[in-house]
Amino acid sequence: MEDYKFLFKIVLVGNAGVGKTCLVRRFTQGLFPPGQGATIGVDFMIKTVEVEGEKIKLQIWDTAGQERFRSITQSYYRSAHALILVYDISCQPTFDCLPDWLREIQEYANSKVLKILVGNKTDRDDREIPTQIGEEFAKQHDMYFLETSAKEAENVERLFYEIAAELIGQARSKDGSSSAAAAAAQRQSEGSSIGLGSFSAKAAQSNCCGGLASGGSNSSQGG
Amino acid sequence: MSVLEQLGALDIGTNEQVDETLQRIADEEAKVNEKLESLLAKQCQIEAKMSGIGRSLSLLHTVDSDSNKLNDQIVNTAQLAESVSAKVRRLDLARCRASECQQRVHDLIDLHLCSQGVVKAIGEEDYEKSATHIARFLAMDQQLLRRTADDVQGSITSVSDAVKTLEDATEKTRVLIAKRFDEAVKADDLASVERFFKIFPLVGCHRTGIEKFSLYICQKLANKAQKELRNAQDIAKAESRLQLAYADRLTAILENFARVVEVNQPIIEAFYGQASSSLIDMVSILQHECDTEVKNLLMEFNKNRQIQYRSKQVNESTQRSAGGGNLGSNSIQALGHYRKPSGGSVDKLNPKEIDAIIAEITVMHARVELYFRFMRRRLQVHVETCVPEKEQFDIMERYEKIMKNSDLRRQMQEILSTYLLLERYFMEESVLKAIGLDTYESGQQCSSMVDDVFFILRKSIRRALTTQSINGTCAVINNVAACLDGDFVNALKAPLKSGYPSGYIDLAQAYNAIQTSLQQGKLHSSDADRGRANFLVQLNNADISTEYIETLCQTMEQEIAGTFPQTTQVERQMLDSCLTELKAVRDALKATVDFGMQQLRSSVIKPRLNPWINQFLNYSHNLNEEELAAYEAGETFVQFFIVQLDGLLNSFKNSLSPRNYDALVSILATEVTIQLERAIKKISFNRLGGLVLDQEVRALGSYLTGATSWSVRDKMTRISQIATLLNLDKITELSEYWNPENNKEMSSWHLTPNEVRTFLTLRNDFRIEDIKRLQL
Ligand SMILES: Nc1nc2c(ncn2[C@@H]2O[C@H](COP(=O)(O)OP(=O)(O)OP(=O)(O)O)[C@@H](O)[C@H]2O)c(=O)[nH]1
Ligand SMILES: [Mg+2]
Repeated sequence: MEDYKFLFKIVLVGNAGVGKTCLVRRFTQGLFPPGQGATIGVDFMIKTVEVEGEKIKLQIWDTAGQERFRSITQSYYRSAHALILVYDISCQPTFDCLPDWLREIQEYANSKVLKILVGNKTDRDDREIPTQIGEEFAKQHDMYFLETSAKEAENVERLFYEIAAELIGQARSKDGSSSAAAAAAQRQSEGSSIGLGSFSAKAAQSNCCGGLASGGSNSSQGG
Repeated sequence: MSVLEQLGALDIGTNEQVDETLQRIADEEAKVNEKLESLLAKQCQIEAKMSGIGRSLSLLHTVDSDSNKLNDQIVNTAQLAESVSAKVRRLDLARCRASECQQRVHDLIDLHLCSQGVVKAIGEEDYEKSATHIARFLAMDQQLLRRTADDVQGSITSVSDAVKTLEDATEKTRVLIAKRFDEAVKADDLASVERFFKIFPLVGCHRTGIEKFSLYICQKLANKAQKELRNAQDIAKAESRLQLAYADRLTAILENFARVVEVNQPIIEAFYGQASSSLIDMVSILQHECDTEVKNLLMEFNKNRQIQYRSKQVNESTQRSAGGGNLGSNSIQALGHYRKPSGGSVDKLNPKEIDAIIAEITVMHARVELYFRFMRRRLQVHVETCVPEKEQFDIMERYEKIMKNSDLRRQMQEILSTYLLLERYFMEESVLKAIGLDTYESGQQCSSMVDDVFFILRKSIRRALTTQSINGTCAVINNVAACLDGDFVNALKAPLKSGYPSGYIDLAQAYNAIQTSLQQGKLHSSDADRGRANFLVQLNNADISTEYIETLCQTMEQEIAGTFPQTTQVERQMLDSCLTELKAVRDALKATVDFGMQQLRSSVIKPRLNPWINQFLNYSHNLNEEELAAYEAGETFVQFFIVQLDGLLNSFKNSLSPRNYDALVSILATEVTIQLERAIKKISFNRLGGLVLDQEVRALGSYLTGATSWSVRDKMTRISQIATLLNLDKITELSEYWNPENNKEMSSWHLTPNEVRTFLTLRNDFRIEDIKRLQL
């Protein structure tokens, strides 16, 4: 049996070509894949990280952005612990579609799911969406915010590690650290994951939002 | 010590001393002589050894010179071998040149034969012959020929003339064959088409041959497909497979293409063998045509089966109800996506028709997967037998790319999307319908909807499997989990939420209800009865569903393994993860059962227990012997109590599932002990009263233990220990029980020392000071 304390499901969504697959590969394999094609349906990757001394297994679902895969990708929203909504900072249309994506999330995802807005491709110099616009949109819709570059490996690790840390916090605040760990360990021994149930009753924590959001503005100052 | 020193050291003052010294000297001498003799005796041996060494020395000299000689010989041999092998190499080279020369001579001879033959053959329009000559010519090394032509310059028979003739002939034949081929195509003369198809590679036009032939076939297939598509409905009617009309046409199209590859593969291997990309070139051109034909077919399919219209309707009905569900700010609703069970919109979209369309789509999708697999296998066999190893991978790679980027692939992704939309709609509507039509027969513990819902869900997953798509299967499993966790769990929970109708939460409510009923002159028992039955049935449904989920997952796991025998690790993990998520719905069902049990506890068990336990206070536990005898002769409290409990449990025994009944007994046991403990604290006991209590608690314990297969022993521990305390003969006896070493059969104390003291004070014959003095 693998040795980990929590298992979290993270689902990436967003228009085709915004760089979801690149973000995942950068994080899981440490590389920027040259010329890989559009994702078909969904892709699946696992990475185990260590946060606060705990081994965390992250199950990452990379969905296809193309419209015709929508009925496949929608079915994964329900079980997600965190949803990463990605747009391309150098492509206005990908930002304009965000409300549509939010509608989908609203319809299919758990209402308490952790939502993160990510503006990708900060390495490009033809930026069309200023950081502040992205940040405001995120704030309006109760999402965390971060700008990344899969190409330059900027903020990618941070994105996933902060999600892991946030999810641990939620899991602990839900049932108290020891029993949560025990429950996780038990589920794990049954070969199953932490179900939706353990999250559905989590208290809304607005303060954590500050962590990631301010992270976003920090990075904009840096860049 | 030397003799002189010895002499010096000795005192030789007296005669005796001199004699003694002399004697000693004589002894020494004798010893020395002996030593000398033994040394001399070794002389011979040593001399013999010395001479032996001398002899060996001379022998060594010979060895040295011999080895030097050997060394020289080896060096010589090596040089010799070197020069021999150089000669051999030169010989080999010469032989090569000779054979090359021979080849050139052969080529030259053939060149002349060919150049003469080709002209004649062309004149006679014998294309095979001329092409064979040309093929021979093309097989010659053209550069070498040119050099030969230079070498033999001035010779009477000009090589370059022959080359020129053949080059011209090649050009001419190429054009001619292409023309003849086109003519044959125009005349729809299959024999000639095939004839010239085989000639193209001889004149070095592999690519042209493959292209022209493939296009010819495409054209033929296009005509056929067009005709068949126009008659799709008629054909289907004739075969009485109307509901699979388009799936059948698609199958026919794909079979045609597969057959073309199958039939022509050996021909291509025989005639186009040298060009290893020939078959994949053909597949590439054919795929293009296949894409077009499938596109036309799907256009007809979409039109005839009203796919757009139906998708729109499904989407609209989903969105409308989703909006309604959200605005209701339904707090139990974990998911935003929800439709009212009243739904019934499945009637607008005829479920039978949708069912048929779904079936047709799954067949279509499966056929395409089969087609891709067939083509891949054909090519695999082809490259393994006919293609040099280093090119094999590239060709297979090219195949995967062609298929991945084909319009057919894209179309199938679209159609899978339609399938998933309709399948989800069908599943959700059918489940809502099953919930709406829920019925149960009296005497049954569960109602129809559990079987119905799980039947529907299993059908959906099975149908997803027939698409042969892992992505599709995963999506349907996800949708099944969402449906169970949403509509189904909500349907189970709804009656549980309103509570168990019999129990009145408080007395005032009960009083009011009875008053109203009395005023109206009747008790609405039938409504309450129905409500009670429904509550218990849904509780049982939830319980049995946890088993059904397990079974469903197990069955599906096996069927998935059967459907996808070869999966990549990622695919395997995806399927596993989705199934795990489905299994996790069990937790929601268990929570539902727990919720219902808590409802029973608060609305049935607690209010009913209350008056019975109060009876306990009416029984004195301060008894003398006479009173004890009288008490035991009459109806004791525990007899009364057990009769009541038995009546309560019996009213549930047949209507609850075994597991739920056990859970109920367990809750009852907990509640009984809590309330009884509270009552005990309200009265006082003497020695005999304590004895009676102990008997009562034992009787209660054995009754409850007998009522369930679960263990309620640990729930009884605390109350039993209280009874033990109150049944003590003397207060000093406590130490026998208190120390764990002293009572192996008794479980560890569930009472704190303070509690022990409190309970002991209930015995009116125990003195407070004694209790205080207890060492606990
Ligand atoms: N400059 C730059 N280009 C990027 C970055 N991330 C991705 N890209 C490029 O964007 C293109 C699309 O990237 P993908 O990761 O395939 O996009 P996707 O979101 O997975 O697309 P779908 O799978 O179709 O939904 C590729 O050509 C990448 O090279 C980035 O951080 N910087
Ligand atoms: Mg992708």
